[in-house]
Amino acid sequence: MEKEYNMTINRLPSKTWNWLRMNETQLEKIEIPAAGEAKVTLPEKITTAENEGSKPWNADFAGIASGIGEDMDGLLARAGVKAKHYEVPADVTEVQPLLLDYAYVQNSLRAGAVAVKAGKNSEITVIEDFASDREASGQAAVSTRLYLEEGAKIRLIQVQRLGSDFTFMNDIGALCEEKASLEVIQLILGGKNTYLGCKTTLQGRESSMNADTAYIVDGEGRLDMNYVALHEGKKTQSNMQAGGVLRDHAFKLYRGTIDFKWGAKGAVGNEKEDVLLLSNDVVNQTIPLILCAEEDVEGNHGATIGKLDDELVFYLESRGMNREQIYEMMAMAKVDAVCRKIPDASTQAKVQKFLGRAVEEEEA
Amino acid sequence: MSEREKTYVEDVNRSIYDIRNEEKDVYRIQKGLTPAIVEEISAKKKDPAWMANFRLQSLQIYNEMEVPDWGPSIEGLNMEDIVTYVKPNTHMSAKWSEVPEDIKDTFEKLGIPQAERKSLAGVGAQYDSELVYHNVREEVAAQGVVYTDMESALNGEYADMVRKHFMKLVTPRDHKFAALHGAVWSGGSFVYVPPGVSVTIPLQSYFRLNAPGAGQFEHTLIIVDEGAYLHFIEGCSAPKYNVANLHAGCVELFVGKNAKLRYSTIENWSKNMYNLNTKRALVEEGGTIEWVSGSFGSHVSYLYPMSVLNGKGARAEFTGITFAGAGQNLDTGTKVVHNAPETTSYINTKSISKDGGISTFRSSVVVKNSAAKSKSAVSCQSLMLDDKSRSDTIPAMDIRTQDADIGHEAKIGRISDEAVFYLMSRGISEEDARAMIVSGFADNVSKELPLEYAVEMNNLIRLEMKGSIG
Repeated sequence: MEKEYNMTINRLPSKTWNWLRMNETQLEKIEIPAAGEAKVTLPEKITTAENEGSKPWNADFAGIASGIGEDMDGLLARAGVKAKHYEVPADVTEVQPLLLDYAYVQNSLRAGAVAVKAGKNSEITVIEDFASDREASGQAAVSTRLYLEEGAKIRLIQVQRLGSDFTFMNDIGALCEEKASLEVIQLILGGKNTYLGCKTTLQGRESSMNADTAYIVDGEGRLDMNYVALHEGKKTQSNMQAGGVLRDHAFKLYRGTIDFKWGAKGAVGNEKEDVLLLSNDVVNQTIPLILCAEEDVEGNHGATIGKLDDELVFYLESRGMNREQIYEMMAMAKVDAVCRKIPDASTQAKVQKFLGRAVEEEEA
Repeated sequence: MSEREKTYVEDVNRSIYDIRNEEKDVYRIQKGLTPAIVEEISAKKKDPAWMANFRLQSLQIYNEMEVPDWGPSIEGLNMEDIVTYVKPNTHMSAKWSEVPEDIKDTFEKLGIPQAERKSLAGVGAQYDSELVYHNVREEVAAQGVVYTDMESALNGEYADMVRKHFMKLVTPRDHKFAALHGAVWSGGSFVYVPPGVSVTIPLQSYFRLNAPGAGQFEHTLIIVDEGAYLHFIEGCSAPKYNVANLHAGCVELFVGKNAKLRYSTIENWSKNMYNLNTKRALVEEGGTIEWVSGSFGSHVSYLYPMSVLNGKGARAEFTGITFAGAGQNLDTGTKVVHNAPETTSYINTKSISKDGGISTFRSSVVVKNSAAKSKSAVSCQSLMLDDKSRSDTIPAMDIRTQDADIGHEAKIGRISDEAVFYLMSRGISEEDARAMIVSGFADNVSKELPLEYAVEMNNLIRLEMKGSIG
C-alpha cells in the first residue's frame, strides 16, 4: 500500500516566471494519513448524512474546484476519507453555528472532509476549530466544500491553533448560485507549515464572497496560500482581504486571484493585503492577480508590505510607546479586528487565550 | 469675429510603416540555426576569436534550454524558417547621401533624418542585420562621448570595454532567447559617456526590419560613467508580412555612481513579429535609470526591462504603456531587484486591450535582505475597450527585509460611459471622445517623451482607436 504521496498544490491560475517559485508548491513524500473526523455540535435544524459512494465527495460536491487543487482529493482518496455531509433545508435560518472541533494529539496523522449544502434562502454559520497542544507535532489535512443554492448564506469561520511543529493542509472549495453569499473568516495563529487554499466559483448572478484572513507566522513557520475568486455570473462580487505579521524566520506566500470570465458583466472584485514584517530574516512573497476576459467589470488590488505609516508611528511614539511596542500592538490589532467578526463567544475566547499566551511567552 | 483656429494633429499614415523594399543584392544566410550558420555569421562579421567561441557556446546553451512555459504561445515561431542574418548591399556611413536610395527613402518617410537635424545628438539606423548609418554631432563627440556601432566598438579602441561588459548583465543562460541572441547577434550600438558629461539632447537608434521571415538581433551596450547623463531613444518598425519575423535584441545598460540614464522606446513592430527582447540595467550608488516604454506593435511580445539597483540610493523608474489590438498578445512589464540599502523603484504602467487583443502586465519586485530602507511603489491600470479582448495583471513581490516600504495597486476596468457622454454633450463625436479618453489614460507615458515622440505616440493611439465604436 502506498505510504507517501507527492503533491503539487496551490497552483497559480496563470503562471509567471519560474525563478520566483510562486507558480505552485511541491510537497514531496507526504505521509498518507488516516481518516479522522471532528467532534460535531450539530444545530437542531441541520441534517447530516454519510457519503455512500466510494470517492471522497458525492456528485453535488465532486465538481466544485478548490484552492489547493486536485491533489488534495488525491490525498483524501488515498486516506480513504469520505466527506461528512451537512445540509441546511431551504428557507431555514439556523442561528446556532455548526461547530466542528478538530483536536489533534501529538503525532497525529489525520485527514477529513466536510461538505455543507445550504438550501435555497437558508443561512448557517460553520465554525471549524483546528487545535492541538502548543508544542505538538503532526500532520493533518481538512477539506471543506460548500454548495450555496440560490439566496443561501454561509459564514465559514476557521481558527487554526496548532502546535509549533504541525503541518496542516486546509482546503476550501465553494460554489455560489444566484444571489448566494459566502463569508470566510480565518485566523491562522499556529502551526509550522500551513498550506491554505480557498477557491470560490461565483456562478450565479449577484452572488458574492468575502474573505477575511489574519495570520501570525513566527519561528520557522511557513504559510502558503492560494485564494481564487472565479467570477462567472453577472454582477458578482468578491472581496478578499489578508493581513498579518511575520516574525523570526517566517516564510509567507500569498497568492490571490480575481478571475473575471467572459459574460461576468457588472462584476466587481477587490483584493487587499497588508503585511507587517518584524524581522530581517523573514521572507514575504505576494502575488495578487487580476485576470480579465470581460469589459464591463471593475477589479482592484492593493498591497502594503513592510512598515507602518510614519505618521502613525510618530503619533504613537509621542504618546510614550517605543517602536517595538507599536509594531506589536498593531500586529495584534490586525488579528483582533478579524477575531471580533467571529459570532461565537466561546471561539473568540479560545482565540484570545491562544493570543494571550503567545504575548506572555514573548514578553517572558 | 474671426473663427478660432484649431490645432489638428495629423493622423499617422500606417502605410509608412508598411513600406516594403524589394531585396536587391542582399546577402541572406540560409534559414535555420546550426553551428555552421553561426560560424558563417562570425566570419562575415570578422569576430575576434573570443566572440566566435562565445557565439558557439551560446548556441549550445540555446539548444539545451526550454521555451518559456508561462507566457504567450510562440508555437508559430519556427527557428527552422528564420533567417538570422540579412546584410543590405551597403556599408555603414556617416552621411545619408551615401545610404542607398531605397533605404534612405524608408528612413526619411519614418522621419529619422529630419529628427536628427531637429532634436537629436546622434543617430544610428539599422536596416535588417546591419547599421547603414551612424553619426554623432561633433560637439557631443568633442565631450568624449562615444556613439558607434557594436562591430566597430568590438574591434576598435573600446574592444576591452566591450569584452568586459558584453552579455555580462544578460548572460546567455538567462533564457532561451538570450542564448539565441548570444549566438547570432548583429548590429546595434555602443555608447560611452565619460564621467561628469551631460548629453543634453538625446541619441537615437532606429531599427528597421525589411526582410520577410528574418530575425533582428541587435545588441545595445551603454555605459554612463560616474556623474554623467544621457537620454537614449530607441525606435523600431517593420512592414507586415504573412510569415513570422523575430526580434531578439539585447540591451545592457551600466549606470555609474550618481549617473542618470533615461531609455525611451516606442516599439511599433509589424503584427507578424515575435518580439522576444531583453533589456537590463545595472545601477550603481546614487545612480538613476528611467525607462519609458510604449509597446504598440508585434504579434507576440515578451518584454520586461529589468533594473538591478546595486548601489546605495540607486533609483529606478519605469513608465510604460501597452496597446494590444486584433491578433496581438503583448506580455509586458518590468522587473526590479533592490540589492542595496535606500534604493527606490517607482513603476507606473497602463495597458489597453481592444479588438480581441491580449495584454498582460507582468512584474516582479525583489527586495533583498541587503536592501534596508528601500521603497517601491507599483501602480498598474488596465483598460478594456470591448468584451472580445483580454487583460491580465500578474505582479509579484518578494520582500526579504523588515525595513522596507512596499506599495502596490492595480485597477482594471472600462471607459466610463459618463465621461463619454459628457464629452459628446460638448459636441465631440463618440469616436473622438473615446480616443481622447484613451490618450488621456496614456498621458503618463506621452508626457515623459520628447514632444515629437509624444505626438507620434498619440497618433498611434488615434490610429488604433479608429473604428472602435460599436
